Amino acid sequence: MSQFDHQWQELVSRARQAPDTRDVDAPFGFAARVVAQSAGTYGAAPWAGLERFAVRGFLAASACCMAAVAFNYFGRSIESVAETQIDETLTTMLELS
Amino acid sequence: MVEDEPFDFAGCLERVRARDQAASRQLVEQLYPQVIRIVRSHLPRRVAEEDLSQEIFLKMFTRLDQYQGAVPFPHWVSRIAVTTCIDQLRAQKRRPEFRWADLPEEQADMLDNVMTDQRDTAPGEALAARELVEKLLAQLKPEDQMVVRMLDLEQKSLAEISAITGWNQTLIKVRAFRARRKLQKFFKDLQQQEKS
Repeated sequence: MSQFDHQWQELVSRARQAPDTRDVDAPFGFAARVVAQSAGTYGAAPWAGLERFAVRGFLAASACCMAAVAFNYFGRSIESVAETQIDETLTTMLELS
Repeated sequence: MVEDEPFDFAGCLERVRARDQAASRQLVEQLYPQVIRIVRSHLPRRVAEEDLSQEIFLKMFTRLDQYQGAVPFPHWVSRIAVTTCIDQLRAQKRRPEFRWADLPEEQADMLDNVMTDQRDTAPGEALAARELVEKLLAQLKPEDQMVVRMLDLEQKSLAEISAITGWNQTLIKVRAFRARRKLQKFFKDLQQQEKS
């Protein structure tokens, strides 16, 4: 046994002599409180932990919807501008011919 | 003297699963002494023991359907208690610095006694030794603290620690070895601080 081991074992053997007189019984009302709190959690579905992702999922889906609407709107307006320009070009070409 | 009958965990669990609140309370009361002993011996600083035990029991009820009966139910609960305490200890990222100059007089005397191999310990010094050991253990990683506490302070066997924590015996030995090496370094540093 090294010098440190000897010193450490001596220290913990002295520490073990410190009495622990604290009560180990559950405080009054503790069990009832825990059971009442657990009533909503016991038997939760295994995927219940995924609930915390629900809000994030909803936000992501909303963002996708908004992006789709915006893209659709701006896409159409670009398309209509292009169509107008093509029409004007064709009209000019037909008039010239 | 008639011994108390052992608690019927299987029967009680069956009633708990059938939403019997009285059985749930009985289960908590039955396991409380075991849980509170684990919490008290591994309690992180500034965490109320009742809050931590409550958290452990809530986890127990939440995960009850995962209990397959591979280990005795009290062992399964003690593993929840151990991991909850380790998580709490990890949450306290900063460990208190340990310096000779900061030690209260009785703890410094105790350390001096141990280092100089003096055996005359006054009756009230056990508490100082206990506090000193707690301060030294607080310097270690949570898992290492737990192993040394169970091995040296609580004098549990490797098999008992393995049952409580769920770690295999080789891992426990490795953690104990690593923890003692670190403690040895702290002792050396303290001796140098004392000399200087």
